[in-house]
Amino acid sequence: MTAAGDGHEPSHDRRGETGPAETGPAETGAASTGAASTGPASTGPAETEPDPRFTLANERTFLAWSRTALALVAAGLGIVQLLPPFPGVPLGRHLVGVPLIVLGAVLAIAAYTDMMRNQRALRRGEPLPRSVLPRLLAGTVGAVATLAAIVVLLSAAR
Amino acid sequence: MPAPAGPQRPVTDPADRTRLAWTRTAVGFAAIGGAMLKVSPVAGGVVLLLSLPIWLIARRTSGADLAASSPRGLRLVTVTVVIVAVAALIVAFFGRSPDSLGQLLRGR
Repeated sequence: MTAAGDGHEPSHDRRGETGPAETGPAETGAASTGAASTGPASTGPAETEPDPRFTLANERTFLAWSRTALALVAAGLGIVQLLPPFPGVPLGRHLVGVPLIVLGAVLAIAAYTDMMRNQRALRRGEPLPRSVLPRLLAGTVGAVATLAAIVVLLSAAR
Repeated sequence: MPAPAGPQRPVTDPADRTRLAWTRTAVGFAAIGGAMLKVSPVAGGVVLLLSLPIWLIARRTSGADLAASSPRGLRLVTVTVVIVAVAALIVAFFGRSPDSLGQLLRGR
């Protein structure tokens, strides 16, 4: 997934490569920004401040996930409060809307932990960890869509 | 006038995009806060108020300073989304809707 959906930032392959060769964080972060060692070597891998562009792309990705989470919360609230009730299916709107709201909260927290893990990997010059967010989002939205279809069919059948 | 050359020049565009991303996020919070005002004035007002610091984060940073932004601002966004979600759950379960969970429980 590209950071923040902008499509102009340095590409991050989440499964191994650390970035474009000429701007790799381990190689040029120190050169372009002045290396800032962030911890003693004895406590773990040496950490240096990565290329600012990678940090900014990471931040935009986090913000994009946060906006997605906010949109899910808004969609869930809209379903519960604004849709007319499904006849014959009590709490039908809640069945569809509440999981979206909960997913929004979970996604916001997961996006923050994901961003911190990515930033740590960038500082250490390690491959970016695989993110669970796309699978979490796709799985839950798919499940909610199936649930919504069942609720609508049940409502239409009665 | 030619653009000034310097080591920080390549960071300007990503920093601008990041600032715009912060602004979009703040606008998103304000929009959902405004929408929530209709169903729950208190919760909507809180969300609207929380969009202000997020907008200020977008304003406070300039150029390459963004690269050194602390995780506090990012944590604020996360906490705000969670607060909005909790407020939305409260409105969903105990709002004024005639078939809300609270109304159904009261009716039984």
